[in-house]
Amino acid sequence: MMMRHLYCTAGAGMEELLAEEVQHKLYASQVEQIPGRVFFCCNADLYTVTQLKSAERLFLLLRKTEPISLPKNPAKAAAVIKERVVGAPAIWKQAFLTWTALQDELQSSQQRGHKRRREEDEEESLTVADESTHTLTSSTHLLKTSNEMDESRQHTPSFRVSCRCSGVIARSYTSQRLSRTIGMAIKEHLGWKVDLREPVLEVNVYLSDDHCVVGIPLLKHPLASRSYMKHNGLRSTIAWAMTSLCPKQLNDCVILDPMCGVGAVLLEAAQEYSNAVFLGMDTETSQLQKAAENLKASGMEGRVQLLRSSAMEIPLADGAVDVVLCDVPFGRKFSCSSDMPTALPHLLKEMERVIRVGGHLVLLLSLQLSAQLKKIICTHKHNQHLNSSDTNSVHTDPSNTRSESTDKPKTLTFQKSSSEAANTPLLISSLQAQRTHKVSLGSTDAFIHTYTKIQTQNTTLALK
Amino acid sequence: MKLLTHNMLTSHVKGVVKGYPLVIKATEVKVNELEFNAQFVSRMIPKLEWSALIQAAEWLGQSQDLPSTLIPNYENDEEFLRKVHRILLEVEVIEGCLQCPESGREFPISKGVPNMLLDEGE
Repeated sequence: MMMRHLYCTAGAGMEELLAEEVQHKLYASQVEQIPGRVFFCCNADLYTVTQLKSAERLFLLLRKTEPISLPKNPAKAAAVIKERVVGAPAIWKQAFLTWTALQDELQSSQQRGHKRRREEDEEESLTVADESTHTLTSSTHLLKTSNEMDESRQHTPSFRVSCRCSGVIARSYTSQRLSRTIGMAIKEHLGWKVDLREPVLEVNVYLSDDHCVVGIPLLKHPLASRSYMKHNGLRSTIAWAMTSLCPKQLNDCVILDPMCGVGAVLLEAAQEYSNAVFLGMDTETSQLQKAAENLKASGMEGRVQLLRSSAMEIPLADGAVDVVLCDVPFGRKFSCSSDMPTALPHLLKEMERVIRVGGHLVLLLSLQLSAQLKKIICTHKHNQHLNSSDTNSVHTDPSNTRSESTDKPKTLTFQKSSSEAANTPLLISSLQAQRTHKVSLGSTDAFIHTYTKIQTQNTTLALK
Repeated sequence: MKLLTHNMLTSHVKGVVKGYPLVIKATEVKVNELEFNAQFVSRMIPKLEWSALIQAAEWLGQSQDLPSTLIPNYENDEEFLRKVHRILLEVEVIEGCLQCPESGREFPISKGVPNMLLDEGE
């Protein structure tokens, strides 16, 4: 199989995870990440590449060069674009051949009975299958069969350019204008036809102060839009990232999402780990119904158990689960009587209770709730030493919890502060912070926090 | 609701000390075949409350002569693991309810989903 130069776009904060994923799953080489993009080289079959979980879109790399600077004079800028962005026609012709071969490979892998993303009528599928078996054997065969097809379409595909630019260039030129200029240059240079509506090829150009990237998307749909999600919840890449950031692999584990919603987090986890028990809880019947439909559509029915329950009163024994994964909802009302900032301390306490010592907690929280989280969970190294005199230490002053310098250990048990302040009614000391990872949810940013539950003197003394 | 789930559920009604295991009162039970994975089943067994699992299977008439105490060296006993696989993962309560052994509070099971929500103050 041929080495291919590919790249994927990724949401902010996901680049590192994507870089790890391509190395781990595709044995990719020359992995390079820049903000929003990860470049790699691999010879994995394309179907496997399309199963990447942390990527947004997949591209064939056509060119990656040093950043270009464009003169303010439009005619001079067009000349620079022609030379630096478009360049030699041979590269484009080769890229188009590779792209065509990859399209055929994708179609034939769909024919082989893998997940079909699009339904095609049977006759058409049969002819495509015939062609692809030829085209895959060698590139000369590809040319032959291509000639039998529409020749003009093969050599001069229709295309459209979508350009994104930032930095200095963006100050003088709009993306739209650059797209047009690049489109003109390609048309002149290669004789390809511009078609804004239904082009054969889309050419993506990314120009910033640091990069100049040209690529062709391999799929119409983003990898991130999972065909198996009937009802969308949390962005699928972020849901996947939560599992991926868990300090331990999930095989042989009992995993709970106490506020599972439509099941996005559990679905991504269940697909990655087949030997694990997944429990999803939600208070809303409508959410659980959607979760059940998602499970069915993804073939994960029977792998994830759903129950109706409140995350504030989890019907499980202490230490019953290995991992809690939770996208803590923010903004909207959490329950009829309280909002999330008020409920958070209690919620954390309940999640902590059901995790066994040595187990893990992975939370997705807004920036605001993340700040609150740090005040509730305060583990100090001193805490891990057993010292009987600490048992009854009680902090009534909420400001105490913020001070990192205090040597006084915090106890795990509920500590109602003397004030009515809802923000710090109790402290948790048995959760040891592992990693905090910032991700983008589109309109807002959020943090994924991971914790390991440790043995404290109180986990043995204070529970129930 | 699979018996695997049942094995983990406890009654969390206020004041209840040992709300476990929940009594199963089933009106509709289904057996859904699922691919057998010996390794998975044998790794789950140590995590289970064995006696509660057997009790639950008996309530549903599905115990298949499984012993009331766990046998040694079950890891290599495929016949045994297949039976456990069946009661753990294939038998499902579709309609009925779960009852707290201490308070008598009933939690309905509808369309296979137990409703463990408590009322306010409960």
